[in-house]
Amino acid sequence: MNKNIKKVTRKFNNPLAIEVKNVTKTYVLRHQKPTLIENILYRPKKEIHTALNNITFNVHEGDRLGIVGSNGSGKTTLLKLIAGITKQQKGSIKVNGRVVSLIDLSAGFHPDLTGEENIFLNGLVIGMTKREISEKKQAIIEFADIGKFIDAPLYTYSSGMKLRLGFSIAVHSDPEILLIDEGFAVGDENFREKAHNKLVGFKKQGITIVMVSHWLWELERSCDHFMWLRSGRVVSKGNIKVLKKYQQYFNHP
Amino acid sequence: MFEYFSKYWFDFVWVMTLKEIKARYKRVFLGFLWAILNPILQMIVIGFLFQFFIPMEIDNYFYFLFAGLLPWNFFSYTFSKCTPLMLNERALIQKAKFPREALVLSIVFSNLFHLIISLLLFVILVIFVGYLSIYKIIILFLTISWLVFFTIGISLLLSTLYVRYRDIKFIVQAVVPLWFYATPIIYTRSLLPASIASALRFNPMTGIVELFQFIFVSNNLIFSLDAIIPGILISFIITIVGIHLFKRDNEYFDDWL
Repeated sequence: MNKNIKKVTRKFNNPLAIEVKNVTKTYVLRHQKPTLIENILYRPKKEIHTALNNITFNVHEGDRLGIVGSNGSGKTTLLKLIAGITKQQKGSIKVNGRVVSLIDLSAGFHPDLTGEENIFLNGLVIGMTKREISEKKQAIIEFADIGKFIDAPLYTYSSGMKLRLGFSIAVHSDPEILLIDEGFAVGDENFREKAHNKLVGFKKQGITIVMVSHWLWELERSCDHFMWLRSGRVVSKGNIKVLKKYQQYFNHP
Repeated sequence: MFEYFSKYWFDFVWVMTLKEIKARYKRVFLGFLWAILNPILQMIVIGFLFQFFIPMEIDNYFYFLFAGLLPWNFFSYTFSKCTPLMLNERALIQKAKFPREALVLSIVFSNLFHLIISLLLFVILVIFVGYLSIYKIIILFLTISWLVFFTIGISLLLSTLYVRYRDIKFIVQAVVPLWFYATPIIYTRSLLPASIASALRFNPMTGIVELFQFIFVSNNLIFSLDAIIPGILISFIITIVGIHLFKRDNEYFDDWL
């Protein structure tokens, strides 16, 4: 009994995995390729687009946060900021643990190098050490199921094979925080099944997940916290009620 | 998430450099032989051209020419290739957070690898002329360090600027041939009017190329610091500016790609 209570209180006091504080992300809008000559001759007027406007939220370890919002509401920008691909202009983001994003899984391979060489390259890019990669190489190859192609250069791979390899490297990197953009699992039926099982496995392990999707049922199935973004601001956040509100808003705006 | 000069950082730069070298010869018949053949062919062609068609009053002109071309080729190939690098590697940059300077460093070090192969071949030839000594090898090592340092600086600078200003590429394309002739590779500064010769001191490549020529084709043991001190100063300034801009901007590269 005593033990149980301890467990419960721990769950509520879980340490923060992601701390986003007053984050504002702006982009300079450009209608043409910017040039140095133009900048010297006359200072072009800068149009600023605010993608995220003073956003604050926390994600605790083991939380599974689903983010909804229409196109252009800042969902992907938010994922990019958490992943460290770009940086906010104002505010701070603190991330505790290794972040791995399942965005553009088949990107970033070198076409002339073999599957094995690409595993090393891609693994390092997403933050694995050389030793970790050596240890997990076999598991990565097996999960990706690309057979004898592993010694062939990447340009001989089908797009499905590249996707499987990318996914396999990402999930074998022992992520502590997983970022999932919409439509990441677009392989064949078999692969979708495998990817889904892997995610369920992560859920059981209590890995922190931040997920963006237009498929509300997918979010409902995978997440326990929700946040609704509109034009770079948080409309509401909390439990499943957020999804219901979002749905209502869309049916009767 | 990562620290400069940590083990992960070194591994990353190392693997990226190997990738750069491997990828270059991967799909080419005879593969690696090209790394050796290229400089040999260049040596023959240039030696022929200048020996017979454009005679200059310089001793051992073939050696002189090649001594200057080695550092120049390394330098100009590297920074021309690095200029559009961030755009070419946008798939990687948009995938994850990783030490982006490794992209630039991998190009510099893979080209350094080719420079060293060419140098080894050249040294075999130079032994017949008999100018090399341990003393000069030490100076060669220091000169290459300067060259690499300056190349890294200017490559960081240009690759960073190119992300924001896409006409940098055209500016670089226009400047490379001019810079070549503003460096005493096919001539010596003593053949120029004093004022121009003196102005060329402020081109860091002048000092570097003259050191290479001193090492390989001069039988003196003393070299002049005339072009070396301003050269080191200017390459230092350019490199500091390059590193500073890169550090300031590299986290925002994705916004401009």
